[in-house]
Formats: sequence, structure tokens, C-alpha cells
Amino acid sequence: MENSSAKRRKLGNGPFVPVGTSSTPAASAFADATEELLLDVQQDYAKPFDGVDDILGQFKTTIEALEPQGPALISDATAKFEKAKGIRVPYPSPRPAKDSPYKLAFAKPAQVNVVGSYVTKTMIRTQATHAIDMIVVMPADLFQDKDFRDLRYFYKRSFYLAWICAGLKKHFKESMEFNFQFLHGNELLPVLVTQPTKTSRKYAIRVIPCAPENLFPTSKLWPTSNSVRRNGNDSKEAQAPTPFYNATLKAESLYQSYLRLLHSAGKTCPGFKDACILGRVWLQQRGFGSDISQGGFGSFEFSVLVALLLSGGGRKGEPLLAKSLGSSQMVRAAIQYLANTNFQKKPLVFGTHPSDPDAMRQDGPVLYDATRNMNLLWKMTPWSANLLQQFAKWSLAGLKDNSLDQFDPLFIIKVHDKSQIYDLQANVSLPSAAETFQSQDCHGRTWNFSEKLYQVLKKALGERAFLISIYMPNMASWAVSTAPTLAQSGSVAVGVIYEPTSAFRRMDLGPEAEQKKEAAKYQEFWGEKSELRRFQDGGIRECIEWAKESSASIPKQIIRYITQLHFGLDDQSVSLYGAEASISPSDTQYFEVAKEAFRTLEHDLRELQDLPLHINQIAGIGPELRYASLKLPSTEKPIQPMEVVISFEASGKWTDNLVANQKLKIAFLLKIGSSLEEFKEEIKTHLGLDKAVNETHNLAFLDVVYEDGFAFRLRVRSDAEERELEMQTRNKQLDRHTQAEAAASLAIIRRLYTNLPLHTQTVSSWCTRLPALSPAIRFTKRWFACHKLASHINEELIELLVLQAFLKPFPWRTPTSAFTGFLRTMHLISRWDWPEEPLVVDHSDSITAEERSAIFARFRECRKLDPRFNRTVLFVADSHDTGGTTFTRDGPSRVVANQMVKLARSVCELVRANGDLKLLLQPSLKHYDVVITLNPKALKAILREHGASKQSYYKNLGERSTAAVLPLAESPAATLLQDLRTQYSSALVFFHGGQDDHVITALWNPELDQRTRKVEMPASFKPTGNGDTLEIDRASILAEIARIGGDMIEKIKVKGAS
Amino acid sequence: MAEQPSSSQEEFLTLPISIPPLPSFPVPTTHHIYLRRNAKVLTRDDKRSLYLVNAPVDSTEPHFRSLFTSLVGAGKFEAVTFECDAKTTKSSIEPAQALRLASHQKKRKREEEEEAQRIRDEVAAEMPSTWSRPLHRSGGSAVVLLADERSVDIVLKAVKKLQKTKQYPVWGEGVGDKAPALGSSWLKAHNKLVYPGNAAMQAVVDAFFTVYNRKEAEAERLARELRNEPDEDGFVTVTRGGRVAPARMDEAEEAKRKMLERQEKRKDETQNFYRWQLREKKKAEQAAFLREFEEDKNKLRAMREKRRKVQPDT
Repeated sequence: MENSSAKRRKLGNGPFVPVGTSSTPAASAFADATEELLLDVQQDYAKPFDGVDDILGQFKTTIEALEPQGPALISDATAKFEKAKGIRVPYPSPRPAKDSPYKLAFAKPAQVNVVGSYVTKTMIRTQATHAIDMIVVMPADLFQDKDFRDLRYFYKRSFYLAWICAGLKKHFKESMEFNFQFLHGNELLPVLVTQPTKTSRKYAIRVIPCAPENLFPTSKLWPTSNSVRRNGNDSKEAQAPTPFYNATLKAESLYQSYLRLLHSAGKTCPGFKDACILGRVWLQQRGFGSDISQGGFGSFEFSVLVALLLSGGGRKGEPLLAKSLGSSQMVRAAIQYLANTNFQKKPLVFGTHPSDPDAMRQDGPVLYDATRNMNLLWKMTPWSANLLQQFAKWSLAGLKDNSLDQFDPLFIIKVHDKSQIYDLQANVSLPSAAETFQSQDCHGRTWNFSEKLYQVLKKALGERAFLISIYMPNMASWAVSTAPTLAQSGSVAVGVIYEPTSAFRRMDLGPEAEQKKEAAKYQEFWGEKSELRRFQDGGIRECIEWAKESSASIPKQIIRYITQLHFGLDDQSVSLYGAEASISPSDTQYFEVAKEAFRTLEHDLRELQDLPLHINQIAGIGPELRYASLKLPSTEKPIQPMEVVISFEASGKWTDNLVANQKLKIAFLLKIGSSLEEFKEEIKTHLGLDKAVNETHNLAFLDVVYEDGFAFRLRVRSDAEERELEMQTRNKQLDRHTQAEAAASLAIIRRLYTNLPLHTQTVSSWCTRLPALSPAIRFTKRWFACHKLASHINEELIELLVLQAFLKPFPWRTPTSAFTGFLRTMHLISRWDWPEEPLVVDHSDSITAEERSAIFARFRECRKLDPRFNRTVLFVADSHDTGGTTFTRDGPSRVVANQMVKLARSVCELVRANGDLKLLLQPSLKHYDVVITLNPKALKAILREHGASKQSYYKNLGERSTAAVLPLAESPAATLLQDLRTQYSSALVFFHGGQDDHVITALWNPELDQRTRKVEMPASFKPTGNGDTLEIDRASILAEIARIGGDMIEKIKVKGAS
Repeated sequence: MAEQPSSSQEEFLTLPISIPPLPSFPVPTTHHIYLRRNAKVLTRDDKRSLYLVNAPVDSTEPHFRSLFTSLVGAGKFEAVTFECDAKTTKSSIEPAQALRLASHQKKRKREEEEEAQRIRDEVAAEMPSTWSRPLHRSGGSAVVLLADERSVDIVLKAVKKLQKTKQYPVWGEGVGDKAPALGSSWLKAHNKLVYPGNAAMQAVVDAFFTVYNRKEAEAERLARELRNEPDEDGFVTVTRGGRVAPARMDEAEEAKRKMLERQEKRKDETQNFYRWQLREKKKAEQAAFLREFEEDKNKLRAMREKRRKVQPDT
């Protein structure tokens, strides 16, 4: 788009050209993908619906041939009918009173018609049920003018339906099964559901009685009018408007009108039908449907919306969608419309409204179709409207992204996965006291309760919550001979998305004490939790202080408390779902302290006057210095230093010999050490030796320990070293082996001195910007550790994965809690087809299209050279380093990568099924060949050498004795693991979960075959007794490990052995 | 390392060793060492040595001493060299200039006294080890030096005899505390050895640079000599600037890079000037666009193949 002409640019910025629909190649690739999708989801009508048309025809003739019944008093007619036919008339609640004066009758229907997605051919394969809607238009002369009142119409309708049911049942007793169901969960509208008994039930036919057009005058059914006066009560309260009731009634006579609208839209606009199908897919992936329990916005509403947008919707009533748009463009435009419109703030009107706009004012979302005088969103709750808008917004955010990648989040990924959407889930049982949630409008009890709950939670959570959503239970169908199963009991599911900056605040401030009215209200709402306090600024306010997050996070505490207070719900009836945050978001303060200590070190180093070279940069590279270490940084013994690298100004003083340079570095470190010790008394320095295989590698580090403070591990960067190695890699005269070695050394050096400082900077700045990132990284690291993958996967790689999940959250919102962040990372990993695609983490938004295709080219090259993943397994490029292997060079291997994806998949499945979250962090050791249990006592004894004191009885004694201890170079388990890895590199693959893990596991390398050659053995082999062949000697290897570990190993268990 | 075993070479003999069980792995096992006469005879010592394969990971000299003592009695075993000790080729610590000049110069005969001093210095400059007892690679080899050539025959005979008697020697028997124990005390020692002390390290570094500086000085002196002295054929080596040494490789590269940069810059200045250049550029962009489209299409195709169907997840 950058190079487009001025004219094009102008057009592109117009108000309603949907994002990404310009005719760029990317957009047409997207269109291609949708074409593909359309082909694949399209319902095959011939086979599964074989014979349906016949049945429908028979239904029609049967219904039309039914005998009319004379008018009879309601009580008599009902009793007679129920006795004769064995069918219970599905009256809405409350059932008509015995002494009701009105009469019921049955007459030949005005029309019988098949409507809905079966006729418009917009069904999709993955629908849960394929329902064919057959409407039966009741004749107008059955009704009187006043029948719109007090459910009278619905009583008559129910009776009519019961008659049809009786008639059909007589004819199709054998072949069909008959049930009643509430249409879209609306308790006013029972419908008949029939399913064939013999064939495998792929479809259902719904028989829906409805009213003829214009049965009742529009003026009676404004959203603001009242039509239900219970118990003859004429008080003002009883005259509250009943918009839901009115809309239900209104919708009864609009079936045909909407059918015509959709039909004409399909005729004039070629892409309309496909747009409807795509819309259905989009909604279905987000769990939306026409049912009230599914949000009340389904494919029907979507289609009507698109049809309306084709004819209007602009500021001056001009059409928002052109008829020439393609289907994918139309869907995107519709989504954009949904994202940009808030239906709750002010009612949205399509077409010109004849009377005053106040007449359609009502609570909840409104999209008013003025031609038909109907609120299209009448089945939507405030929260579902909000959720729909957010879904649309999130989808749109993804659409701005690179072409094809937007396709999956939009249509393929199952978005409706509550654990992925919400930070906190709760199941709230309906209280048993029934009458408290009655209202004039006939929403049903569940709706009323949910609405009340929504209000209370919204007020209680306030700015802690970004979004609250409630899922009402599905209503089941019931056999025609029994009474309807109204949702008297059951529970609703609540989902909350946090506002991460304020969700975990411990203090809630209320109004000042002087504002008496507000204060009283506040007290009433919060009950005894609210207390008066004087604050530092002198104000006296109502406030609430929540308990520390030791047992439950603060939002959880609030939900428990407030439901208890307002609904009398105890702990059993409110069950909260979500991993208990053992990693608290308030842990950041510990990292802040560590960072502060690092700044002190930096300051101290820069103060040193007598260094031979000027310090250029001091950069932290340890995970503690970027809010990302699993363990909180602490000053406790044993001291574990945080890693830092120092680079000096460029200098010619470095030698041109690699070994001498390493020695020079040591001299440098020693100089820094002695200067620091001189500069500040509380500093002690210890020069330590690195595990260097070769003398040309980095040999040493300097541990700088502040007394009673943090410790740092310094390494010095030498630019001469890098230059020399670079030259070696390019020097064609050197032999290949030396070149490869130089390249490997160079990669290590680049990683340590260039990439890690940048990475640390990036992660730490993102952690300050996204409050949930740091806990999410740490939770994810814990998971990797628990499943013993930590020893194979670099910490930095994990950080990049989590960061990617945060930066590309589509189709969801950026995660707002540790747990959702973790789950999104799992989702990302589970969908990552690593053999086929690289991961590109563009955290600085700086990778251009060319660079991106260069990365892909490099990736393909890599795969071509190494198709069996012997060298490069995971390929992860980021903004700083597009090479792709910086953090994946030393692991994981192919086996481990597959294992990681498999585990991530099972996590996703587990949470989708609302499984026990404790299982998440419980590793299975069953599949390992060898399980080595370490002796925690022996490990502790080693740590004690470094000052990890037993809780000494005399506290002062314990402290004194640890004054001059050495820092810990590495945790003992890690050292042991490292050693085992070196000795058995080709025989065993070891797994270990980091520092606190007391179990090392291992798998035998399956590729070590039998051999005859005795020289150059990759591991210990023994004679098989069969000629000259040798096989791997597992027992002797394990015995060796036992000898190496000595008292550190408690037990070595072999798979299969008891 | 040993050469490939040829058919003429002696076959390996198997020396089974019984390993006593430990509480953490209470399974008695047998370890198999394979040995033969050392085939690589370069020095006099090689004739009286044995080549071993699959030495246990935790082998030490005391282990082998007691093993051979139990096999053939005391006094036959002299020393053992492990694969990893022999293998570490020291990286060169010659200054680069010295390396370059080495090709121009005949080896100078050194005084014995001087040589000894040199060795002493180099030992002092060596990095301290961080392990009290190094481990060896599993399946690794070792060379055992015996008292004399006769001992080799005796050992081989004894090993052959073992096949019949089945009285395998026990690993680690009689070693006692001659070898440092492994396990936690070994790790404790390691954690201490990692920090050899600042003063000690200073001494090592100083020693290193005494050696290094001397080498550098020698190289410089040599360069000066080379410049002045004609060689056997009467030629005098031309050195850069006449002061230091021949030009360095990287300097040449640097010069080349600069030249290329200059060329590139000149090229850049004449870009985007003529109409045809703009046209070409646009064409190239168009082509890139199309290529991108093709790429996306390929991706889609790949996706299709992979999933076979583009279906929404359920």
C-alpha cells in the first residue's frame, strides 16, 4: 500500500472499506483461502437429507388436513385434549388459570412453509444439529384484539401446537420421534421437534407455529409498552415495559417478512449466500448462536444484519455494503461494523423511524429495524452484546496483520474456549428461593438471575474487570407427554477478563464519609467489609482491604464474598475455576529490587578510575534482570549470582591470539575485582572458572558479591575475539574443521554478548508494558520444568514463545493473567507445525516484508540441507536476530520438540474439558527408561557448604558463620546432570527440571545398534554371546552412574523393573 | 587414537570385571574391557603397553593399578593414559606474528637450560583443574604402560585364563582412599575448585604473559633479522613498512571491503534518475508482488495438503 498512488490511498482511508480488502495479492490469497473453506464446509444436501422433502410434504398435507376444533373454554379444552391424546399442552409458565374466560380453537393454518437455512442452503457441515424449520401460520381469525396481553396469544399458540403434534403423531407414530423444545431457549415459544427414528439422526424438523403478518397493531408492541399485567395488579410498578415479551410477540409475525428480505438480498447480491455461510462459521467458532444461551446472535441475525447493511446503515441511510463485494469482503465489513458499533450506548436505527425515538428505548442492546419495527438483538443480553463486540474487535486486530496468517484466527481456530478467553471462571448455582427473580418481562428465571448477578459483579469488580460474561444453561427438549423442564435449578457460568493493571489491587476506595448518601449506599452494597479509614491525604473514606493473595486471588475473594452477601450463596454453590496463582503478579517488586541492585553495581563499576579501558556498556543478561526467572531473585544463601556482561571501548590492546585474549580477559576481571574491593568494603569478588572445553573459549567469570546483598557474575566482552573468529570463518585457507569450530564459537559469543543483552532489554521492557507477561513467563517456565523439558529448552526460547502469544493473541485479547498467558502459549505451541514453519517473533515491529521472506527462505534452505532435523530443529527468528537458531542451537532435539508439542496439546484438551488443573503440573515418569532419584539431604549438604543454613536456633550464630562463603557456581543437580550428559552423550538422553527437581530421568538412544567394531565405541558395550557382536551394556552404565552419584543418588529405577 | 584394526592385527581380548552392587542400584553387573597389544608403536614405551577400549567412566590410575595387581601380581603396572588426556591438543598460544614468521625461519636450537625454564613457565601458566577426579567418556579408550614387554604377554595370558576360571577381578577393590571419592564430596570439592582464588589466578595469568611476551619479543627480533639477512639463495624478505611484519590478511580484506563500498556508493548515486530506471524499479516491485502472491498460494496449497480439508476446529 505504501507505493500506491494518492488516489488509491484516499480511497483506502475511506470510512467503510474494510481492512485488507484492497486488491493486493495478499487479499486475493485470503479470498482464495475462503473459497477453499466454503467448498469444505458446504453442507451436502443430497445424501444426509435424503427423503426429507418427502417427509416435509407429508407433514404439510397432514397439518393442512387436520380437522378444525370448535372454540371451547381453556380449562375444558385442555383437560379434554390431554386426556384424549396423551399429550401435555406445553403452556408457558404460569399455566393459564382454571377460571380463565378465553376460548381455544384449532383451524386450518393459513400457510405451511419451510424456512431458514435449509431453504437458503446456508447450512454448514460442522453445525451441532441440522434443523429444518417449518412454520405453520395460524389463521388470524383464531385471535382477538386483546390477545397480545397477558400471554393469551402464547396460550393459544401452545394449544395449536399441541393439536398439530397430536395430528402428526397419529400419522408418523412409527417413523418419527416427537419432542417439545423452547425455540431459542425462549420460554414463551414451545416448538415441536421431530427426528426420524430409523435413520441415524443427522437432522431434526422443527414445527413452529407463528402468527400471520400484522396480527397485532404495532402501537401496542413498542418496546416501551407493557403487555403483561399479572394478578390484575394495576400499580405503576406492574406497568413496567415488557420489551422482551413484546419483541417475542412481534417476531411471531415477521417470519415471512424476514424470509423475503433474505431472499431478495440473495437475489441482488451474488456474494450474499456465501457471506452468510462464512458468518455462520465465524459465529460458530465463537460459540454464538440464535439461542439465548448462546448469546442470541446467530446466523439468522447475521444474515439479516448483512442484508440490512446492503440497503442502509450509513449516516444518511446510504448502504454500507456494495452489492458487488465478494463474500469474504462482506464478512469482514460486517465484522468491522460489529466492532465499531456499540449497540448498548445508543439504539441503532435502520431506516427512518416514524414516531419519536424514545418509543424504542430499552435496556440492553438495540439494533432497530424500522421497516419491521423490530429490535434485531432482542434475544441478546448486555454481556453477550459486549462479548460479540469484543470478538469482532479482536478479529479485526488480527486482520491488520500479514495476509494468510489472519485466516486461521478468523475462521479455523475454535475461539469459544472459556479457559482461553477468561482469566477467571465461576459456576454459580441458582439460589433456590424462586420468587426473588420474578420480573414483569418474561425472560425466565435464569435470565433474571443472570442479569442481577451481572449487575452485582460488575459493580463489585469495577475496574478490575475488563469484561464479565455469563453463560446460561442450554434448555433441553422434553417428551410431549410430560411437563416442560423449566430451568428451576442448574447453574450459570461466569467468565471474567481482568484489567491487568488494577485486577489485583488490594485496596478498594469508596466515597468520602462526608458524602453521606453515597457512603450509605456503598455500605449497603459491600456490607460489613466496608470500613471507614483515614488516609494520608487527610481524607476519611469508606474502603475495603482484601486479604493477601495467599489462598485465593483477590478477584476470587470478591466473587465469593459478594455472591454470599447478595444471593446467600455458599462456597459449594459457587465453584471457581482457574489455576491458583502460586505465582503472584505482585512478585514484580522482587525483580525491581534486583534491578535496583544491578544499577548500583553499574554505578560502582563506572566509578572505577583505574581500569585500563573505558567501560562502554554494562548489560544484565540473567533472567532475574528481565522479570523472567522462575525463582525470585533473593539475597539468601547460597548466593546465586545474576549474569552480567561488560564491554569496553574498542582497543588495539587485545592480542591477535585467541588463547592470549582469554587470559587477558581474566587479567581484566582480576583488575576489576581488586578495584571494586578497594572501592567499597562491602564488596567481595571471587574469580571462578567456566566450563571451557577448549582454551579458546571463555575461561573465567568474576563473581561480585555485595555483603548481605545480591551477587553478580561478570564476563568481559572482547571485540578482538569476535573479529578474529569472524575472520577464521571466512578464511578459505583454514581447514573445514577449524572453520566449523570458529563458527560455533562465534555463535556462542554472539549469543552471550550481543543477543542476550538485547533480549534482556526487550523482555524487560515488554514486562513493564504488559503486567501479565512476567507471571505468564514464569508459570510457563514452571510447566516446562515440571515436565522435565527445561534441561533441553533454553529459557530465552520459552520467553520468546510467551511473548509471541502476547503479541499475537488473535483471535483473543492480549492475555491478562498468568494462567491465560500460559494457556495461549500452550495453544501457540500446540498449533506450531515446527517442521514446516518457522516462528517469527517481531517484538519491535521492525521486520519488513523482505526480511520476512528472507527468513522463510533461510528456513527452507535449512530444512533442505538437514531434512532429518539433525542440526536445526526449531527455527525461531526475532527482531534482533533473524538467523533463527540463536536460542535453539543447543536444543531441543527432534524427540523433545515433538514431546513438547504433544504435551501442549494435552494441556489444551485438559482445560477445554475443564479438567483438574492440578494435573497440569504433574509429570508422568512412566515413559522414561531410567528414573534417577537424587537424595535431597545430600544435595542440601552441598548447599550448606555455601551458607544455606539449616534454620539455626540461634539466629545470630547462623548468620555469622556464613560471612565468607563462596557463591554457588551452579546447583549440584545441574552439575551432576551436565557431567552425565558429557560422559553418556550418545547412549542416554537426560531430562531434568532445573534446580529444585530431585529426579533426573533418561531415555536410551534407540539408534545405538549392535556392532562388531571395538574401537571408537560410542558408549559401553558388552558381548552378546552371539559371535563377535556387541550390544550396549545398560546395566554397567547404570552401575557407573550409581558410582558417580555416590551418596547423592538415592535410587535408580529401570522401566519395567519393580 | 589407535588406527583401524587390520586383519593382521591381534584380536581384542575381553576382560570382564565384576562390579559390586550399590544401595542405589543393587544389581551386580559385569563390565567388559577390551584390550590388546598396542598396535601403534612409535616409541620404545609403546612396545610394553596395552591398548584398552571401554574403560569405565570412573577409572583412575589406582583403579587400574589394583586391577592389574589382582590379575598378575604387583610390580607389572606402571602408568595409564586416558583417551581424553591424550586427545586435548593444545591451542596455539603463539602470537599471530610469530606464526606467520615461523614459515620463514629454520628451527633454532635451544639450550637445554633454556628449554627447561620454558617448560616450567608453561606449566605455571596452565589453568587449574576444577575436578578432583576427572571422569572419562563412556566407551573411551586408554593406554596402559606396563613394566616391560614380558609383562604384556603375562597380562594377555592371564586375561585369556579368566575365560575359563570365571574368577573376574572386582572393580575398585583395594583402591581405598587412593582415589578421591565421587558423590557429594566430589561435587563439594568441585564447587571449591571452581574458585581457585584471585591471587592464584593472578599468578597463572602472570606466568602466561611472561611466556607470551617472550614469544612476542622473539618474533619481533626475528622479523628484524629476516629483514636484514639474506636467506640461503641470497634473497632478503620484504616486509611491510620495513618495521613490523608482512601485511596481515585482515588488513588486506579491510582494504578490499572499502574498495567495494566505494564502488557501491558510486553506483547508488546514478540510481533513480532516468525514467527507465524508475520503470525498471516498478517492474521489479510488481514482480516481487506477484512472487509474494505465489508464495501465499503455495502456502495455501501446503496447508491444504497437510490438513486435506480447510475445516474449522471443533
